[in-house]
Amino acid sequence: MAQPAPRPEPSGAKVIPIREASLYEAHKKIYARSVTGTFATWRWAMVWFTQAIFYGLCWLEWNGRQAVLFDIVERKFYIFGLVFWPQDVFYLAILLIISALALFLFTAVAGRLFCGYACPQTVYTEIFMWVEKRFEGDRVARMKLDAAPWSAGKFARKAGKHAVWALIALWTGFTFVGYFTPIETLAGAVLSWQLGPWETFWIFFYAFATWGNAGFMREQVCKYMCPYARFQGVMFDPDTLIVTYDAERGEPRGARAKKLDHKAAGKGDCVDCGICVQVCPTGIDIRNGLQYECIGCSACIDACDQVMDKMAYPRGLIRYSTEHALAEHWGGRQIVRHILRPRTLVYGAVLTAIVVAAAAGLTLRQPLKVDVLRDRATLAREVEGGLVENVYRLQVMNLAEQPRRFVLAVTGLQGIRIANEQIVEVPAAATQSVSVRVRVEPDAGKRGANPIHFEVRAVNHDEVFVREKASFLLP
Amino acid sequence: MQRLIWILWPSFVVAGVAEAVFFTLVDPQELYLFGEAVHYSRLATYSIGFFAFWAVCAASSAFTCFLQGTVASGKS
Repeated sequence: MAQPAPRPEPSGAKVIPIREASLYEAHKKIYARSVTGTFATWRWAMVWFTQAIFYGLCWLEWNGRQAVLFDIVERKFYIFGLVFWPQDVFYLAILLIISALALFLFTAVAGRLFCGYACPQTVYTEIFMWVEKRFEGDRVARMKLDAAPWSAGKFARKAGKHAVWALIALWTGFTFVGYFTPIETLAGAVLSWQLGPWETFWIFFYAFATWGNAGFMREQVCKYMCPYARFQGVMFDPDTLIVTYDAERGEPRGARAKKLDHKAAGKGDCVDCGICVQVCPTGIDIRNGLQYECIGCSACIDACDQVMDKMAYPRGLIRYSTEHALAEHWGGRQIVRHILRPRTLVYGAVLTAIVVAAAAGLTLRQPLKVDVLRDRATLAREVEGGLVENVYRLQVMNLAEQPRRFVLAVTGLQGIRIANEQIVEVPAAATQSVSVRVRVEPDAGKRGANPIHFEVRAVNHDEVFVREKASFLLP
Repeated sequence: MQRLIWILWPSFVVAGVAEAVFFTLVDPQELYLFGEAVHYSRLATYSIGFFAFWAVCAASSAFTCFLQGTVASGKS
């Protein structure tokens, strides 16, 4: 972030020219060391879980169509049994509110859980680093390889890595586009080299973004580009579980022989091996306290626990803990008890209320929508028998996934009726536009606009019913 | 490079939001371009729309960046 420009000196004072220097140090490539342990296992489980959903869900079928498809060309979103139309944008807003509240709740309870385990940036970086390790080895081997002059061997390793990265990236791009155009059609188009120009473009665009973000940008995305990292501070409180180094136990740090009674020698538990720094994907030292770069991935916890095991010290020098717990020497039970506090209870209550309301709204949603437009060409005209006629255009939207027949009726004035066909057939998940001529005796209402209602009811499904307001003009 | 990211990245995010809101409310087939109905496919209109939004937002970011730079170095 740029600092605000310094205030100018009052006139007359000696003015020193100020040159603004870059506040970022030159980027140093981070060679994160791979790590195993409880949290690494959880991270990998989340990689499998999220990616099984992402790569798999687009291939599922439902009612003879793709189960989850955001069909932007047809302007309809399908999510299993639900079909959303542009008119349902309200539910999209609700979904965004639910996501935001869930993020607030999770962050208040346990910090950046999303960043560490589920964010696509973390997940793809994890996958790409796994590939990198297969081709170039772990941290030290990679540093050596990068420092070495170019050779056939180095070229082969780098080329192999990039080939696999490109394949993963392209598959990811293909899958992404497959959520917006039916994926089976898309796959057919790819296989027969008949992909449209825009589909091709977006597959490569997304693939390029994946390759760049997971292969090169990595932690820089979190540090410089992610807005969440910048405002996480306001969502934390002293009872939030965060990855913490127990300085009281660890300091004074320092190397020592394994057999030494370090406590007698005045040393803390930290052997200053630096492995917590080596495994950190953002390259920070957790022993300096909570930093905005920390994505809460817990790699340092796993790494430190292994060192503690080797030294035969108790685990948890770096652990999930809270500011209060550390200060007051709380145990696990007290930390858990403090998860329930006004902040989390309020978030939880609001979240539950909105989820329940949205679910109820979706369940009770009528699979029918009707828009009434007045015919602009004719306001009111006299027809045979001295009746007055108004013409309307009804957009009947059948949200159900079966074709349906609807009966049209009109109410609101004495003797009001529809003069044309009153049954309209609408295909599955489609819109049918019908012209409706409504007639009434000239003395059935006052001069000018009279409120009337169109009633549309599904044949054999009486519960599918919509009443839409309109106005009838009498001369 | 850093300036380029400052300009292109926030504008990309805002363009994405603008695109989603605009095309949820407006059907691209109902748009008129220079008095004539848009005849591109919806996918093409969405894509062109996104880049148009991105360009406009980037122009705004670039202007902000430019003004900031002028203030910071111009007080001598």
